[in-house]
Amino acid sequence: MIILACSVITLGALFYIFYAPRVIVTGVTKTRLAYLQERKEAVYENLRDLNFENQAGKFSAPDYQSLRASLEQEAGSILAEIARLENAAAEAATQSPKGGRF
Amino acid sequence: MSPISSVGSFVLLLALALSGYSFLAGLVALLRPGSEGLGETSRRAGIAVFGAVALAAALLVTAAFQDDFSIAYILHHSNRELPIAYKFAVLWSGQEGSLLFWSLLLSAYGLVLRLRYRTDPKLFAHASVIIASVQVFFLLLLNFAAHPFAIVEGAIPPDGNGLNPLLQYPEMVIHPPMLYLGYVGFTIPFAFALAALVMRYPGEKWIQITRRWTMVTWGFLTVGIFLGAHWAYNVLGWGGYWGWDPVENASLMPWLTGTAFLHSVMMQEKRGMLKVWNMWLIFATFLLSIFGTFLTRSGVVSSVHAFAQSSIGTWFVVFMALTFAVCVFFFVMNRSHLKSEHKLESLVSRESSFLFNNLLLIVACFTVLWGTLFPILSEWVQGTKVTVGAPFFNRVNIPVALLLLLLTAVGPLLAWRNTSLDSLKRNFLWPAIGAVTVAVLMIAFGVRPWKDASYFYSLMTISLASLVAFTVASEFVRGGRVISSHTGQSLFAGIVQLGRRNTRRYGGYIVHFGVVLIVIGFAGGAFNQDQEKEMGFGDKMKLGPYTLICRSYTQDDNPNYGSESAIMDVEKDGRLIDTLYPERRVYHASNQPATMVANRSSFKEDLYLVYEGQNPDTGRPIIKAHLNPLVMWIWAGVWVMLIGTVLALIPNALPVRVAAAVRVEPVVVGAGD
Repeated sequence: MIILACSVITLGALFYIFYAPRVIVTGVTKTRLAYLQERKEAVYENLRDLNFENQAGKFSAPDYQSLRASLEQEAGSILAEIARLENAAAEAATQSPKGGRF
Repeated sequence: MSPISSVGSFVLLLALALSGYSFLAGLVALLRPGSEGLGETSRRAGIAVFGAVALAAALLVTAAFQDDFSIAYILHHSNRELPIAYKFAVLWSGQEGSLLFWSLLLSAYGLVLRLRYRTDPKLFAHASVIIASVQVFFLLLLNFAAHPFAIVEGAIPPDGNGLNPLLQYPEMVIHPPMLYLGYVGFTIPFAFALAALVMRYPGEKWIQITRRWTMVTWGFLTVGIFLGAHWAYNVLGWGGYWGWDPVENASLMPWLTGTAFLHSVMMQEKRGMLKVWNMWLIFATFLLSIFGTFLTRSGVVSSVHAFAQSSIGTWFVVFMALTFAVCVFFFVMNRSHLKSEHKLESLVSRESSFLFNNLLLIVACFTVLWGTLFPILSEWVQGTKVTVGAPFFNRVNIPVALLLLLLTAVGPLLAWRNTSLDSLKRNFLWPAIGAVTVAVLMIAFGVRPWKDASYFYSLMTISLASLVAFTVASEFVRGGRVISSHTGQSLFAGIVQLGRRNTRRYGGYIVHFGVVLIVIGFAGGAFNQDQEKEMGFGDKMKLGPYTLICRSYTQDDNPNYGSESAIMDVEKDGRLIDTLYPERRVYHASNQPATMVANRSSFKEDLYLVYEGQNPDTGRPIIKAHLNPLVMWIWAGVWVMLIGTVLALIPNALPVRVAAAVRVEPVVVGAGD
């Protein structure tokens, strides 16, 4: 009885691991572009927080302007790099043999 | 050999084999591109480990219910008359069972992780392999060093030794699981952090993925620690809830570093800063969790939790050393990946408040670690064990805690990057006036900080706690006003909306408010009073505003234990207000005594009575009475912290969008781009 129970447990585990129907999901390697999109969202979130806190009366006007300017500068840099990477990707697609046929 | 023992031993071996396969196949799949099929079998083997370990745990509990004393663990930790709830608790009441429980919880966390792998298959595959390696360690321990299904040699006794009487208390059914859920849970953020480092994962998404895991784990550890404190208060009968016992300290250390991580990780998410610091914080938190389990289970230091003296300490030391070496190796290899994107711009900023908060938490953690290990270190150096007590821990940690309270008040009101004096004045004027008013009122009501250091600390604690409470309130009111001005709702409705729109932030503030209540409770300790007296029938004892009158003594006996209790009338201003029954039990199976405290608890104070037994010379019962102010605030604060944590876990109802003229243009960067 003990041997039977142990055999059933082992066979069940092996069947699940090696034979049960499966769909293999492969992940894609995360690109710098995807990372920059995340950073952009984070900076936009920071801008929204800053604006909300300013409306709540937490900052003096010069503080608010200065903080907002630096966040906008950061967002601008990220957007610029996103645009550069997207242009480079588009150019690469155009120059590839597949793209050349169009 | 009993069937339960045979099958249990087999499934533990199977679980080890499955974990080993999950680790090795997963590792090969990561190293060889195109081995997705192998990676999938690794993931499934990890899932199957949960089934095998859960079956082993279920079999051990079944053995407790069936009083199968052929299994040594059941013989040593259960008996026939043990109540049903405590039969479940048998699983974590001894060394072998609690290691099995650790393994079970890890496999359960691993199950959830492996089922959610589609979120980011590559990152999850790396994390899964790391978790499998931790699982292999615990299953090696269970199979070869602390076997829960080991068989009793020779004749099988008719009854077991019983569960440790100190554990036969309702909270002990849930305190260890909570603590273990906390300890084990930190494996998940650790695995993701190490995985992100190993694969040079770009960006901070791994933090977002693990945020809920970390908060849930931290919540469990918080609840576990305070359930332990509540148990100590009600069972150990010394009138306190925290004794700086090594095992209490063991749970506090990962909590301190985990708390630091929860704060500093926001800097990484918001500003891409402190990446190295955060990586090492979560490494340290995991290692301290393992260290905590090692302290609890190895018996290297004396403790009220001295469960066992055993050889498993060496296993833990080797595992911790290996883990540390792996962390250092990948850190050295990939440290260039952890460069900060910004630098600290000002000392008066949200970033610096987080940084100081982290430094203070690390100082507190190091102090606790130093004090805990001091007996071992002193024995190595001097040959004699020197133990440090509460005065050492308090001398360092009380000032640290006061500074932390100040930062808790100041931090949320500072802006990211830089805050001017003008903004500081705007934000702090009213909370500061409120805190000073509280301090003046305390002095007016008779607290004289110049008379005693404990009064000084108490005054400072309550004043700073008030400052935190006022700043938290001002955050809610100001935010609520913005919402209500946009939506036309009432201020209260605006505050509710505010909480729903940014649950993490406002849940965090509620957690801070819970901390306020807890430290106020701690501050009450400065005004504790106690008295001990032999009391015959009709004898009286005066303590504070209360008069205790001994009415009678009773004895009782049931199959599990025999007990003696006193019947004590409590009078205040000449009026009978309550009757309390402090009790002392002696458990039959183990022949060990246990105290059942009688506690009349209110938000103002606890009247806490202990029946200490009889004076062996006079035969008269001894009653010890404590009057402990504000203790209930601690337990209320824990509930508030729990509510705040749960709120922070709920997804935001709506994104926080307040109309703003935000115009962002791409800027030109680098020539040749």
